[in-house]
Amino acid sequence: MSYGLMKKTTATVAAILCATASFANPYEKFEGTTLVVSWPALAHFSAAEALVDEFTEETGIEVEIDALQYLKLRDRQILEMSKPEGEYDVVSWVVMWKGEYVSKGLLTPLSQFFTSGSLVDPQYDIDDVAGAYLQNGGVVGGKKGYMPGVSGALYGIPFGAETSILAYRKDIFEEQGIEVPTTYDELAAVMTKLHDAGIPALTSRGKTGHQVTAGWLLHLAPLGGKIFDDEWNPVVNSPEAVKAAEFMRHVAKTGPVGIETFGFGEAAAAFLQGDAAMHLDTLKIAAMSRNPSLSKIDGKVGYALHPVGTRCGSETGGFAMGIPANAPNREAAFLFIQYLTNKAGDQRMVELGGDPVRISTLQNNTEGFDDYPIVAEQLPCADPDWRPLIPEWNEINIDVLGQALTQVITTDDPIQPIMDKANEELRAIMEREGYYTWATYRAAQ
Amino acid sequence: MPDAAEEIVPVAARRPWDLSMLGPYFFILPAVAVMLAGLVYPVIQAFYLSFYDWKIGTDFDDAPYVGLRHFIRMIGDEDVGESIWVTLKFGFWTISIEMLLGVSLALLLEKPIRGASVFRTIFILPLMVSPVVVGLIWRYLFDARIGWINYYLGQIGIEPQVWLGDADLAFFAIVFTDIWQWTPFIFIIVIAGLQALPSEVLEASKIDGANWWQHILYVKLPMIRSILLIALLMRLIDVFRALEVMYILTGGGPGRATELLSLHIYNRAFDTQQLGYASAISVLLIVIVFFLSYGILKMGNPLKEKADI
Repeated sequence: MSYGLMKKTTATVAAILCATASFANPYEKFEGTTLVVSWPALAHFSAAEALVDEFTEETGIEVEIDALQYLKLRDRQILEMSKPEGEYDVVSWVVMWKGEYVSKGLLTPLSQFFTSGSLVDPQYDIDDVAGAYLQNGGVVGGKKGYMPGVSGALYGIPFGAETSILAYRKDIFEEQGIEVPTTYDELAAVMTKLHDAGIPALTSRGKTGHQVTAGWLLHLAPLGGKIFDDEWNPVVNSPEAVKAAEFMRHVAKTGPVGIETFGFGEAAAAFLQGDAAMHLDTLKIAAMSRNPSLSKIDGKVGYALHPVGTRCGSETGGFAMGIPANAPNREAAFLFIQYLTNKAGDQRMVELGGDPVRISTLQNNTEGFDDYPIVAEQLPCADPDWRPLIPEWNEINIDVLGQALTQVITTDDPIQPIMDKANEELRAIMEREGYYTWATYRAAQ
Repeated sequence: MPDAAEEIVPVAARRPWDLSMLGPYFFILPAVAVMLAGLVYPVIQAFYLSFYDWKIGTDFDDAPYVGLRHFIRMIGDEDVGESIWVTLKFGFWTISIEMLLGVSLALLLEKPIRGASVFRTIFILPLMVSPVVVGLIWRYLFDARIGWINYYLGQIGIEPQVWLGDADLAFFAIVFTDIWQWTPFIFIIVIAGLQALPSEVLEASKIDGANWWQHILYVKLPMIRSILLIALLMRLIDVFRALEVMYILTGGGPGRATELLSLHIYNRAFDTQQLGYASAISVLLIVIVFFLSYGILKMGNPLKEKADI
């Protein structure tokens, strides 16, 4: 064999070995890459930092985390994602922003990764991820623009997603001889009874803007209300919506002092510090109540299904993770998301004090997690359409409903006129944004 | 000795133009460039943007030109009107009380009495705290559930108040916080002015038999009038650009009870992504501040007085 032929053969063998090696380890190609991740400074994500370290150790892919207060994420992310070349490889968004992000072309559809044999883990099993979470956090398109449908596409995987359950103080309920409420009528009666006994009843978000709207929306769906009908006509002055607002006023009057100023953190803290008997909001309260640095009530909390009004309908919210359209390392970013949300990652999140997004994880971890069976039972009722995640939602949420509902809970003004005014303002926004253009056009014809 | 009249010769006549006369302009050029880049350019851009309907995250070239639509909308916008009213109310109460307190304390503490320097140091501490920290401190103090204010009120049998969740109480809270932070500013400026007053005039007024009250009202305060006007002007401008404390303390709520115009602009621009509309309101803000400043300066331009000297 000549020297030249030997050299060529050696090079070919080396190349084959390298190629074989890269097939053997899907991460090797990206070793030394640094991913920049934008996510919220919340308990679930703090817990995930240990899992991120494990990811780096196993894959050789470095990760830098840019954690911000969750309502501050949007400005930062939009600014970053609208540059020609962004810094972020992975962004975690509050589900209500997904429509806006996609309408502005800021996100990468995940189908291009899920069709790549070298990237997608055959054992990933996306069907195991709770459907309501996946639809609510990750899917954009469909009939309404934010729900599944043939025109929809997947842009994100839920991570830190949630539905709502009722958390209550077992000791207080026992002392007061109160049964756990299963309907809204029972819940209202329990709130009155606790208040009359001098015990702040149900904590809630109530701060002007997004927070008070979120508090009200939790009751709107089960009480049968909606924001829009099927033709995008606002219906926030319907009898159901007004009833939800009346319930919100009852919450403020019978709950802990200061509800009018509570965001999610303050509302949760009131429950965790023993200043409220009930918490009806995200399931995240369960992990928080087990955390001794946050909670004084560990071991005293019971969980129940979100009470039913005219129908069962708990919230779907929280966060999903996706990849910006201008991300520098999109394939490695996909591997990162996949690692955190696969079955092993989801199980690890449970061990680290986070919240799972997979049905199998909920079913496999019943011991020590009283909330998991409740969550598993609640999920079929979780409503991915409990609020309209259209690009205009932020303006509707903050500027219109967030103002009207503040008036509801901070004054004794009649509720119907407040909601009538909000309905008119909402219609003006939809008009301005062209939602009635087709209807007007057809009517003219 | 030369005649004084001969000494006054117009500079231009004495000194023909040469390159070295550009020296002063050369030295102020960096400052002018920074001013143009940091102040004039953004103002022009804001004005330009107010004619477009642009949302962050989209290409500006795709933003539709809307002409005067934002300005027309602004005229009929009750929320803008409410924010202006809140700002004016806030300015009236804070500036009045700060001026009164600041001037009074300066008059009391101008004399070298025992402990005055320690008190002065303590008194100006709030000025050194960043506005964000001020907002956080007072948010926790006013907190209805865990705040110290409610705790101590409870100790004397007063029911806890939802300081930041009631429209009137929240307005009181932002006024109180502003007074806490900015009274020392008036105090420092006024005390500096008082200590620089010529002692001959003060002694003369005493010899002429002026009592303590007349001494202050007819001698000291008129002599520091220009300083008081500068302080008033600076506080007025501050009121219209105040944002951080209110943003942290109340977020403008409950409702729009504490939403100053600057915070309203911020919320419109970043919460609801109406950048063009927010820019139009910014133009209004500039116009308001310009006319208020002009009005105060017309009352007696301290800079002009200085120039006359």
